[in-house]
Amino acid sequence: MTKIVSLLILEVVFCLTFFTVSYSDINLIQTTCKKTPFYDLCVLTLKSDPRSSTADVSGLARIVADSVNAKAIATLNQISALLKSVKDPTLEKALEGCIVSYNTIIQADIPVAIDAIEKNNPKFAVQSATDAGNEAQACENSFAEKPSNSPIFSGNKAVHDLSVVLQSIASLLL
Amino acid sequence: NYWSDNARIHGSLASSTSKRTHPLRPVSRGPAQGVSEKTSGIWAGVSRGPAQGVSEKTNRVRASVPWNILPEPWNSTMLEWQRTAFHFQPEKNWMNGPLFYNGWYHFFYQYNPNGAVWGDIVWGHAVSKDLINWFHLPLAMVADQWYDKNGVWTGSATILPDGKIVMLYTGSTTEAVQVQNLAFPANHSDPFLIDWVKYHGNPVLVPPPGIYKKDFRDPTTAWLTSEGKWRITIGSKRDKTGISLVYDTKDFINYEMLEAELHAVSGTGMWECVDFFPVSKTEEKGLDTSINGPEVKHVVKVSLDDDRHDYYALGTYHEKNGSWIPDLPEIDVGIGIRYDYGIFYASKTFYDQNKNRRVLWGWIGEGDSEAADMEKGWASLQSIPRTILFDNKTGTNLLQWPVEEIESLRLNGTEFEKVEVKAGSVAPLDVGPGSQLDIIAEFEIDKEALKKATGSNITFSCQTGGGAAKSGALGPFGILVLADESLSEQTPVYFYIAKDSDGDLKTFFCTDLSRSSKAPDVDKQIFGSYVPVLKDENLSLRVLVDHSIVESFAQGGRTVITSRIYPTEAINGASRVFLFNNATETCVTASVKIWQMDSAFIRPYSDDDDKDDDDRKSSAP
Repeated sequence: MTKIVSLLILEVVFCLTFFTVSYSDINLIQTTCKKTPFYDLCVLTLKSDPRSSTADVSGLARIVADSVNAKAIATLNQISALLKSVKDPTLEKALEGCIVSYNTIIQADIPVAIDAIEKNNPKFAVQSATDAGNEAQACENSFAEKPSNSPIFSGNKAVHDLSVVLQSIASLLL
Repeated sequence: NYWSDNARIHGSLASSTSKRTHPLRPVSRGPAQGVSEKTSGIWAGVSRGPAQGVSEKTNRVRASVPWNILPEPWNSTMLEWQRTAFHFQPEKNWMNGPLFYNGWYHFFYQYNPNGAVWGDIVWGHAVSKDLINWFHLPLAMVADQWYDKNGVWTGSATILPDGKIVMLYTGSTTEAVQVQNLAFPANHSDPFLIDWVKYHGNPVLVPPPGIYKKDFRDPTTAWLTSEGKWRITIGSKRDKTGISLVYDTKDFINYEMLEAELHAVSGTGMWECVDFFPVSKTEEKGLDTSINGPEVKHVVKVSLDDDRHDYYALGTYHEKNGSWIPDLPEIDVGIGIRYDYGIFYASKTFYDQNKNRRVLWGWIGEGDSEAADMEKGWASLQSIPRTILFDNKTGTNLLQWPVEEIESLRLNGTEFEKVEVKAGSVAPLDVGPGSQLDIIAEFEIDKEALKKATGSNITFSCQTGGGAAKSGALGPFGILVLADESLSEQTPVYFYIAKDSDGDLKTFFCTDLSRSSKAPDVDKQIFGSYVPVLKDENLSLRVLVDHSIVESFAQGGRTVITSRIYPTEAINGASRVFLFNNATETCVTASVKIWQMDSAFIRPYSDDDDKDDDDRKSSAP
């Protein structure tokens, strides 16, 4: 009888431990994302990256930075494609300005953010993330005729919102 | 001897005068890789053109449109105007290890040779005779060892009694661990200190137990203890409490960590660039870092990672256990007085034994977009060096004042005596173009108006006070700089006297960026703080305007504000200065003196400079 009981206890203890380990990863994602203004976006982005299951807050910040980068590259490609066939000069000007914004995000903001996270100098990550969000916003604002409804609105919004998430998570590292 | 050392300098610097290749300039990556041949390289001290400014490590995406399309509303004239004329600035810099040695002031600064953003940090080097005109020298130290591969970060110099220099600096290792390393000049008789040697046994200090391996950086200049040992302090944190660890050493190689921390303040976060130094309570001069005694107070200064501001506090140093107690815990370091209420960070002082003064350097970042920085090809500058003195009139503040050498740049001056500026008015000050100015002004308020003015129970602060456009009974009033004729762009630097419901007066000193530029993508905050004003003092200010930087000093430097301004109209010939008084219940009488400021030379050292040195040497007594 006692053997069975002790085995049972062992089993319960084992399961609890195992359960606690995986529960706390999700917990870290949730508690971290609660400190950002875009909870759902944050959780979705982190959960869809396998690295998040073993990441600390610094690692979560890195995942978001990579995601901003990926979205920015996709948006930049979209802008380039639109530029090939654009006829309207106002639209062309706005798109060209957006190229500058996205080049800045991809070539300056994200690499600096990743470097700063890695070297534990998070204020540069916060600053860069803020700038990335501003660049995406500036791009969207430059479509004077159709603000918040430009041909690349969803790309701009994704990059902007993810940058804000990155900014919030990097602030936790200060 | 000096001359053969000079010959060696020729050899290593010769290529810096050549336009073709430079030992420190990366080879242009050329049009094949999407880089316009119009871009040029690193020595921002010479070139005013845009540089590619892209780190080698970046994830490159080839866009079909070249870099030189500028976002609205910027054009290249506006961006080129922003470069300062008499502030030290390479492409991107932080600062560390300034010192005076063998006739030259040396400035070692954090530098990214690959771009106008933070990263790939190495030690840039420049020398000066007067802290204003600078010669660029080759990089002093690069990231070539495992213990600084990820960054040759901030350090401090200590000059030993025999005149030799030791440098302690933070290296970020290949694993991104923060360690302290020792370096010294290869040749102490080289006045230019070109070559540096890293100690073969580096690192000399690694993060101690209980301290996170990436929260351990920026060692200070050492000071002597009564036991004849050298003592340093290094900032760190435990959770959210900022702390500074203390170490004693006899040889700068072996260290013992003291049990007590120099000081700790909860809630302040990581302490970067800790500075610790004595000030004289009685004499108007600087003190060597090792001085102690009854006529001395000690200052602890920290750069707070959390809010990117530099704070200081005055207190008493207890040598026995290496601890320091603030005079007023309610304005302890990190929660009290700031060196500067604008953009100013990672500052440090050094003792200038040449002129017996303590000099403060600060790093001034940009307030514009990263895209503009990439376009300009440079980012950030150094403040004009400031002397530091204890303010024995208030007993609570330090006084900062631009070094006297800046006055050598003054050209023609114009004086305006007792100009009456009525309530709600603006008065132009005709001095010609307004991009490079030294302005000194004194303001007299009507004493009757001060007594009669209506008090308010609303607490005033620069940040929430509505800026220069919001009138109060006794303010705002001051000057407008970088303003165009129509005032469509303007940067007010002003005083605001607040009277509370008990009739007590409190003076504030502010800079309002909200209308400084029509561009939407620049910093538009209102900076400032309370400034102590003693009973019989007039209100006084000094403002240095140098293109995109404005440094403002109130009451002899009791409160200082540095701001970055990026106008689109008020540039070049269109930039003006005005007096203004937006108070409703008082007239203001202003006396102003304004000098046009010459440009400093900040450029690589060349063969001709040796000739000047020869001439100087042969005519020396």
